[in-house]
Amino acid sequence: MNGATRMADAVPTVRSPSPTYVPQGSQFAGLYGRELLKTFRNPWVLLITLVQPFMWLAFFGSSFSGVPLAALDVLLHAQIQSYLQFLLPGVLSTSMLSIGMFGSMSTIQDKRFGFMKRILITPTSKATVYLAKALGSATRGMVQIPVMIAAALVFGVRLEGDPLLWAGWILGLVLLGFGFSCFFLAVTASSTDWQTPGVISNFITMPLMFASGALFPSANFPGWMQTISDYNPVTYAALFGRGIVLNGTADWTYLGYLAIFAAAMVAIGTLIAARYLKVE
Amino acid sequence: MAAADAIAASGLTKFYGHLRAVDHVDLRVPAGGRFGLLGPNGAGKTTMIKLLTGLSEISEGDAVVAGYDVRTDPMHVKQNVGWVASEVILDDDLSAWENLWLQAKLQRLDRWTDRAESLLAYFELGDRRKDKVGTYSTGMRKKLEIALALLHAPQIIFMDEPTIGLDAGTRRTLWDLIRGVNAEFGITVLLTTHYIEEADILCDRVAVIDHGRIVATGSPSELKAKVRTDFIEIELAPPVPEDRLRAVPGVLEAKSAGPVWTLRVESAEVVLPRLLAALSGEGIRSIRVDKPSLETVFLDLTGKRLDAEGTGPVDYRKFYAQMRRARQ
Repeated sequence: MNGATRMADAVPTVRSPSPTYVPQGSQFAGLYGRELLKTFRNPWVLLITLVQPFMWLAFFGSSFSGVPLAALDVLLHAQIQSYLQFLLPGVLSTSMLSIGMFGSMSTIQDKRFGFMKRILITPTSKATVYLAKALGSATRGMVQIPVMIAAALVFGVRLEGDPLLWAGWILGLVLLGFGFSCFFLAVTASSTDWQTPGVISNFITMPLMFASGALFPSANFPGWMQTISDYNPVTYAALFGRGIVLNGTADWTYLGYLAIFAAAMVAIGTLIAARYLKVE
Repeated sequence: MAAADAIAASGLTKFYGHLRAVDHVDLRVPAGGRFGLLGPNGAGKTTMIKLLTGLSEISEGDAVVAGYDVRTDPMHVKQNVGWVASEVILDDDLSAWENLWLQAKLQRLDRWTDRAESLLAYFELGDRRKDKVGTYSTGMRKKLEIALALLHAPQIIFMDEPTIGLDAGTRRTLWDLIRGVNAEFGITVLLTTHYIEEADILCDRVAVIDHGRIVATGSPSELKAKVRTDFIEIELAPPVPEDRLRAVPGVLEAKSAGPVWTLRVESAEVVLPRLLAALSGEGIRSIRVDKPSLETVFLDLTGKRLDAEGTGPVDYRKFYAQMRRARQ
């Protein structure tokens, strides 16, 4: 064969007309199913996922139990029955911050053990891998929602709202979790270092947790922290849930913000993953 | 590309930064055969597989695999090829059946269970189908990996160093399986190896690859026929002038690497007694005679030896990493 002759010019490819797109539904279902199998078959992951919310409520939620309610009302700018009632939507929101870390770690494991090659040597796009991983880690995080609500009820918290509001609240948490999963996976798309997800988690979790209205009302913050809080999606998830839990009312624009956040993260992350997701 | 070619590549090149891992390779692999890429570690064999399967982007050149252009239509290439990795890549947290299920999903197979059953039976894994793959022996894992590669009935199966790290018995069993896969499933096999014996016994055509270039292609017998000479490798304790070796009748060429001389000779049977007589009194540490083989083909073409451990120092870090992955 003459090396100067381009194969594509010399030999028409007979089997494939112009469209080269291969539908991705089956591959997505397989990869998402694999994530679920691996997650829910691992007793340690399940145990920690279930115990962690209890620990949040037990240790952090009890830290203000000695403070009179009237003082808490002033501090928290709300009429509450207990700090736990105020805290629940915030803790659920902040717990969505780090769930993307699991997806990132799972992706890096696939790269290091070569499994990413096994996936990408099939007609599976990098975007499909990315979205399956993101949804997988978001699903893992979702397990905490019913557990934490049940834990709050066990701790004697009375929750307001109706099924529609509650469904909206859970949808908001799903959007927040999915958005942060996408963010994590996009940031670590080209990484093969085990330590990267943990480092990034530590880096973003603390400032986003405290610079939000999740644990304390942002009205108490200095100006610069309020600015961060205003752009922080955790704030909107916490405020949305808090309105429902405390008063039985919802500001649906918060849900809109969360939807925009999730959509933006999916779009940006998919583009990044399609370009930068490393095979090994 | 002839109609009977499963793979055709022209000017195939891959750069990693400034490193040219694959260097303007022209390649034709006839459909239905067992084709070997023979070369030392780092020659570019694995990179060629990555390029031909669409796993890595081609820097220059073109390739048509299973009738599809790899550059413009990698997804359809991937639907028509199977792949067996050198390091045995499976999901150890899943059972054999679940690994097959995942492969079926990734290859978009609607009906796959009957074929999966027959593959498990063929590879004698049926009894362990529900066990986690992490509990399998290396040989079983290799078999399962081949079963995964065959599940979607590909036209071509790529095997990257399929027997690396296996003991001699398991290696021979795997050779029989590869022959069976080729004959009974009618699938073109392209395998890479740095084992001379493997290429000689298993492949009906071989491309010798060195530094990213194909330096010769042909059947093992054709390649051996090209090298009409024998080689004598002799290690001498005190240095001996080249002229003295060249003066021995029948010695065509002499090259040295330290105390070891490699002599290309017309006939080892004729030249060896003359050589021993000529070196009488010198300190001869070792002598090795090579009749025409793929080893001497490689030696003749590249001026260096391709033995079972490769030509350069063994990359133990890579080897043990592969083994570690295989056992993960």
